[in-house]
Amino acid sequence: MSFVTIEQAGYGVPRGGTILDRIDWSIGEGEFHALVGRSGCGKTTLLKLVAGLLPPATGIVRIQGEPVRGPGAQVGFVFQAPTLLEWRTVLDNLLLPVSLKRRPQPADRRKAEELLDLVGLSGLAGRYPGELSGGQQSRVALARALVTEPPLLLLDEPFAALDAITREELQDDLLRLCARHRTTVLFVTHDIAEAVYLADRVAVMEGGRLSHALPVPLARPRGRDVRYSPRFNALCLELRRAMDGKAESVALERAS
Amino acid sequence: MIIRLASALLFVLLLAGWEVYCRAAGVSALVVPLPSAVLRTLWDGLAGGYLLPHLWVTTVEMAMGLAAGCTVGFLAGVLLAEVPVLRRLFYPYIVASQVVPKLALGPLFIVWFGFGMTSTVVITALICFFPLLENTMTGLQQVDPNKRELFRMLRATRLQTLLRLKIPSGLPVILAGLRVAVVLALVGAVVGEFIGGRQGLGASIIAAQGMMDSTMMFALFIVITLLGMIVYQAAAGLERWLLRRPWKG
Ligand SMILES: Nc1ncnc2c1ncn2[C@@H]1O[C@H](COP(=O)(O)OP(=O)(O)OP(=O)(O)O)[C@@H](O)[C@H]1O
Ligand SMILES: [Mg+2]
Repeated sequence: MSFVTIEQAGYGVPRGGTILDRIDWSIGEGEFHALVGRSGCGKTTLLKLVAGLLPPATGIVRIQGEPVRGPGAQVGFVFQAPTLLEWRTVLDNLLLPVSLKRRPQPADRRKAEELLDLVGLSGLAGRYPGELSGGQQSRVALARALVTEPPLLLLDEPFAALDAITREELQDDLLRLCARHRTTVLFVTHDIAEAVYLADRVAVMEGGRLSHALPVPLARPRGRDVRYSPRFNALCLELRRAMDGKAESVALERAS
Repeated sequence: MIIRLASALLFVLLLAGWEVYCRAAGVSALVVPLPSAVLRTLWDGLAGGYLLPHLWVTTVEMAMGLAAGCTVGFLAGVLLAEVPVLRRLFYPYIVASQVVPKLALGPLFIVWFGFGMTSTVVITALICFFPLLENTMTGLQQVDPNKRELFRMLRATRLQTLLRLKIPSGLPVILAGLRVAVVLALVGAVVGEFIGGRQGLGASIIAAQGMMDSTMMFALFIVITLLGMIVYQAAAGLERWLLRRPWKG
């Protein structure tokens, strides 16, 4: 059974016209899907539709069969901008999702410290966001979304501000965590190699429509050597061609 | 440091020039008193205890008016920022009341509250009310839309969003309003006393005027100025302390 189902979902704004046009997609439980596409094609908008932050103009989004009517407790969202509270320490920012529900316990604090360690920021718990670099801020935002262990994770270019090495480490950490908790993930990125490395299935968006779907049949767990294997490079090339609109084999048919 | 020294030196030179000119030209003490005479009056007033009760009365009026005006202004600002219907309902009146010279209402307050402290406190409170109202409304509505979305995603309640997002992120703007209110509070208290005070620094100026005692009036100006500088510095210090975090936006 699929965890997320998007049926004929569309979205428009009064003066911008149609932003999303009849999107159909589904994500099985525990699957990791990536969404790629050029800047401004509507990726963030689709993610917000799934999160319940925006209401679809047409169609419907279901999570575990239930129509989405607003932000749900089982969804973690990493925004495109880090969006930290400047007047709270890194640790308090991490614990924000918890502290809005109840008083954080020592166990929550330990968990937060662990996550901070995982994203490579141990020792910065007492700093304020204004004292962090851009990449460090986006790592705090990632850790904040993980702290409640949501069954569905929506990530909007979380690694865009990072260097290649940190990014690879965090990709591996994310895959490990998601596999451990059987998290369902929808991951937006600009980076073709990132999409192929992380995802079971990649959706290509173009001008508000999903134009292609590319399955990634690479075995898991994926290690460093996978990134340099010929299979991996062939898949990247295929995805690149799909983004250029040239790969006929994986094009999504569209009725009418 | 050198600049500070220079500006202090400038002040001394100015006073010296004033003194010399008045003595040389024989300007009447009624028009412009000698600085040395003003300082002596000031010292006598402070040491002899004549000025202290007045200073105390003005300080109390200012503090009470400031506290009342700021509290009500802040709460009203929160209410209007949070309830759009109320905001639309009251906004025209708020704009209109901005241009009403609040001090001109003084005589009316004397009719309502009588001579003395109460009417002065009310005027002061009214004057402090508006900057807090304005700035609280502005501050709470200027929250970064991304952060609002974050709080929506985390399913924060309305009260949580107010207390943990809107007020902290609007705090710099709200405190700027407080700094304006502090200065206005002194004006309100002194002018309020002009109109309806029996005691206080403003009332003393009127009394000194009645006795044509320009020297005393100048001494009172100095006391008022010093009082204003102290409360302004206190407000600025409070602001620095509350915003000691690396705050941005
Ligand atoms: N509030 C809005 N009003 C009008 N148009 C909007 C609004 N928000 C987004 N758009 C438009 O919708 C389109 C899709 O925006 P969206 O943010 O989803 O793009 P994106 O694929 O996430 O881009 P990027 O990769 O640059 O983040 C863009 O062309 C944008 O100009
Ligand atoms: Mg985007």
